[in-house]
Amino acid sequence: MAITILPPVVEDLGLRRTDYDESMSDDDSDVEMGGVDISGASRPSKRPRLGDKKIGEGIVIPGEVITADTQYMRSWHLYEPFVHFNHCYCRWNIPKDKQIDVRYPLRARYQPEIGDLVVGRIVEVQGKRWKVDVAAPLLAQLPLSAINLPGGILRRRTSADELQIRTFFSEGDLVVAEVQSVHQDGSASLHTRSLKYGKLRNGVFLAVTGTGGNGASNSSTKGGIGSGSSGADTSNGGGGGVVRSRRQVWTIDAHNGGGQVDVILGVNGYIWISKHADGAEAASSTTESVSITRMEEMVSSSIYSSQNDEIPPQTRREIARLAQCIRVLVQGGQRVDEDTLMATYEASGQVDLEVGDDDYDEDGAHEGRGYLEGAKARRILELAMQLK
Amino acid sequence: MSNQRQASSASQTPHLSPAELSYLYTSLSLPRAPIRPDGRSPTQFRPLSAESNILPGTNGSARIGFADGTQAIVGVKAEVERTNLATDTLASQSDVNDSEEHQGSAAVSGHGSWVQMSIEIPGFRDDDALPVFLSEMMRESLVGSVTEGSGKADAADAAEMAGGLKGRLVINKRWHWRLYIDVLLLSQPLSYPLPLLSLTTHLALLSTKLPKLKSQGEEDPFFDDDWAVAEYLYPRISSQKTKLPSQYVRPPVTLLVISVGENVIFDPNREEIAVADAVLAISLTRDSEAGSLKLLSIRTIDPPSRLTQPAVPNSENVNMLGAPAPTEDIAVLNPVTGEEEVPGVWRPRRGGIKRSVIANMVQTVLKKGGVGEDVLEGLEGVEVE
Repeated sequence: MAITILPPVVEDLGLRRTDYDESMSDDDSDVEMGGVDISGASRPSKRPRLGDKKIGEGIVIPGEVITADTQYMRSWHLYEPFVHFNHCYCRWNIPKDKQIDVRYPLRARYQPEIGDLVVGRIVEVQGKRWKVDVAAPLLAQLPLSAINLPGGILRRRTSADELQIRTFFSEGDLVVAEVQSVHQDGSASLHTRSLKYGKLRNGVFLAVTGTGGNGASNSSTKGGIGSGSSGADTSNGGGGGVVRSRRQVWTIDAHNGGGQVDVILGVNGYIWISKHADGAEAASSTTESVSITRMEEMVSSSIYSSQNDEIPPQTRREIARLAQCIRVLVQGGQRVDEDTLMATYEASGQVDLEVGDDDYDEDGAHEGRGYLEGAKARRILELAMQLK
Repeated sequence: MSNQRQASSASQTPHLSPAELSYLYTSLSLPRAPIRPDGRSPTQFRPLSAESNILPGTNGSARIGFADGTQAIVGVKAEVERTNLATDTLASQSDVNDSEEHQGSAAVSGHGSWVQMSIEIPGFRDDDALPVFLSEMMRESLVGSVTEGSGKADAADAAEMAGGLKGRLVINKRWHWRLYIDVLLLSQPLSYPLPLLSLTTHLALLSTKLPKLKSQGEEDPFFDDDWAVAEYLYPRISSQKTKLPSQYVRPPVTLLVISVGENVIFDPNREEIAVADAVLAISLTRDSEAGSLKLLSIRTIDPPSRLTQPAVPNSENVNMLGAPAPTEDIAVLNPVTGEEEVPGVWRPRRGGIKRSVIANMVQTVLKKGGVGEDVLEGLEGVEVE
């Protein structure tokens, strides 16, 4: 069967709606506190008040009054008396110290921070800089002075470099870079002054949500998140996508003879999956022989290449599988990091085996079994969560 | 200018880097077993969610959501209208077949202008090229799908559907139905919206019901109030035994098919369209002749790959000049395009498609148990309440 047609899925909007229904029947003192406690499955018949100890968290929209009670402390994103003013839907809760804390947006654009590893796409070439789409509200800029010159030469950028700016990067090119500084208006300045950074090739790109925040973990400790809190947080459902974590770039030994595959998770939610190219290999793929002393030059000059190496079909298949694993994770509302992705990748292999046993004799079973996102997605996700 | 270019091209082309394009193209053109970026087989569609009869004020309606998040809603509204035979139609008709029907054949076989289609796509004006082109392309296959059986419509059962949809709209010589099909794309067109809109329209037309006619012959039309006895615009297969030819007739579906190298790929996503050698819209319908499929039209759509940016081979890259003697990049003759290419270097496609590829495409769509049959069956399976 070439086509699967599913019945429409009713999205889970009921929680919000019951809030409004109840506030109509409630006494009017409560009407202003919409959005309190949506998490409880078995709700008390009476709306929880802020005075009660039960209230914990909920979803607010900008302009919504959380409470008028003065016994709580105000945190950022809030006006007195606790009106939420940020530009996105947020979850909020009250930790121990009675401070109303509005945190982790359900869905938002990436907010750049210094030191983030990002994948970006060049959208505009200017005289001395490139404008890069990094999924942030504003385009990031990559100045000509912030890139490595081919061959690793260190010198001041001249007008000759400005004239041939398009030979380094031109429109549409993908770059992996690091955020060097963040300007007042929230736009970022990037740099690629390392051999790790530069133009991307030999792989596929995919974009998922990446708010840059730590998903469900505490916003006050951005950047340094431990793995200890992750288990509880994912169940909290702070929204999927890429989050800042310890490793954003790593190499996978692919199954089925796929060789080695590199994964770059940009904090901004842009992801690059490519055939692994370490220094020596990259060099030898472009040259016959290279002396060990010139290795660095070689690598750094190949960062401006837009020619793909030869990639065997097995590797391509595994790259496609990894990309699907990421999509399965994102659709399941899970965060994407090294642990979850590796677990999902393992699980996808196991699910393949299971399915292979089930309808071994069926003729069409082999057809389209590479597609993981449909019916298999749930099973893969279950297995992955067990493996993790 | 750029807006127009986008509108005529097969999609709002995503900006892809030459390296990505080359990777995608090579993966998709692997002989016999293309590797699609999402692991599907070449004929596999992404799962879609569909429902019909969602708008209470229409004669028929449907909603389809594709996996990439694009959604469309179609409403079909029918209206009784007096058949106004323009004198010029009469004159020309009587010139051609003066002996047969002096009444004007339009009153018998219907007229294409009785079906009106409007498409609304966010970000486009309704007189932009894309909506106009799409609506005309879909309307054309809709009214153009005249069954061959129209000549031998003597069988009273088959007469109902004789002349395809146009014939069905005739009430009597003085009255006819006018069909308004309103297509609304709910989301930004992520890729070329034609297949989504076509499938949704198909589903809406399948669910369309017309009130049952009580009057007879040339009387002014008078309809049954009871909506429960209303008849489907496209009659259903009532039972296995009495399969009337008319019950096989189905509204046309237009599928988007791309070719990459020798491979034929169905339901392409945005990135796949971006590297396609050729993008074709294939319209097909189910004919009255024992339910076989009939090809209505093949239209080529401007492939966006010709507007992409070429890659620079390492041997010509200024930034690689410092590197010691690059390996000889031997330009290989691409058997499909007949151009010399360095492997791994993206060159914008010039378009063009081989006969054998088109033949393969058509065969994959039309053959028994092929893609076309699957799609039509799948859509029929959507519960029409």
